[in-house]
Amino acid sequence: MNKEIEHKFISEFEQHQNIIHKVCRIYTTNQEAHNDLFQEITIQLWKAYPKFRGDSKLSTWMYRIGLNTAITLYRKSKRSVQTQDFESVLHKIEATNYDNTEEEQLKLMYKAIHQLSDIEKALIFLYLEDKNYKEIAETLGISEVNARVKMNRIKTRLKTILNP
Amino acid sequence: MDELDLLKKDWKKRSADYPQVSYNEIYKMIHKKSSSIVKWIFIISIAELLFWTLIDFLAPESVYKIYEKFNLNSLLYISLTVNYVITILFIYLFYKNYKSICIADDTSLLMKKIIKTRKTVNYYVFYNIALYIIILIVFNIVMFSKPDILIEFMNPNNKPIDNDKLLLITLILQIVFGVLMLGVIWLYYRIIYGILLRRLTKNYKELENMEF
Repeated sequence: MNKEIEHKFISEFEQHQNIIHKVCRIYTTNQEAHNDLFQEITIQLWKAYPKFRGDSKLSTWMYRIGLNTAITLYRKSKRSVQTQDFESVLHKIEATNYDNTEEEQLKLMYKAIHQLSDIEKALIFLYLEDKNYKEIAETLGISEVNARVKMNRIKTRLKTILNP
Repeated sequence: MDELDLLKKDWKKRSADYPQVSYNEIYKMIHKKSSSIVKWIFIISIAELLFWTLIDFLAPESVYKIYEKFNLNSLLYISLTVNYVITILFIYLFYKNYKSICIADDTSLLMKKIIKTRKTVNYYVFYNIALYIIILIVFNIVMFSKPDILIEFMNPNNKPIDNDKLLLITLILQIVFGVLMLGVIWLYYRIIYGILLRRLTKNYKELENMEF
């Protein structure tokens, strides 16, 4: 593939890379797995880039391929078990910004999210990213009604975890 | 504040904190090899298609000699020709399905296409196993219906052996070999499926169930 396309892709990707970091954050729990998944999604985006026509926004396209890679193509690396918990690292860094109860609540929330199924994670991720139900339904290939029903169930579940 | 709002606020706040990957690092990444399951399914499928196609060529000469003795040659050639036509059809279908896989599809459709591609190869393998069993049964019926020729073939130097025993041992060996081979194939598929597709199939079912 020619250098011009490569340069265009890398520049655009560099600007939007946080989307992929966020997908990795939902689907992995340590830095090594995060990097692994990030790398695989980057490869998939690059492979699909020549077919990207620009009829949807680049970010929408990245959400879709990012989630698809995490849910369908990626196999969890066995190495990831031994490394330090990514969640706890992040919490240590930012702990000072929160009062204790809020921090505890968030910790519980993120823990609960990591226990959700891959599909549920995709739903909650798209919710956190402020996507509307139409976009969520289109990304996952389900109906809008079902996306709404499922989302409400997940929200209720998360709330019950915090207020048993 | 609602817990979910709190979560959303925190999520957004952290979004700005990810260590950024540089232009050069991205450049390096896109030149690395993918480890996606679609790639592995493709490699394994091609290997299987080749394996089952080559197995016909690898059959030893002596196999054909025994068929000659029983006048089974024409039947063998017909089945081989039909087999080639069907093999080409399967390879075409596999290629068509594989090409249709598009990572930018919606998740449900993408998974459906991956599973369909994999199923094509599975059907090819089942077809080969079925063919193998049918040929084994038909040929054995023909062979054992003419025990004289079979004994002559199994005992060319006419050594003093109990002929009934010889036939029995031949039959048992054929059955044991057949069952053993099926066992190995079954195990192989359990392992391949276990490794590659368990997670994908689980997720696909979850999405499917959501639609009812």
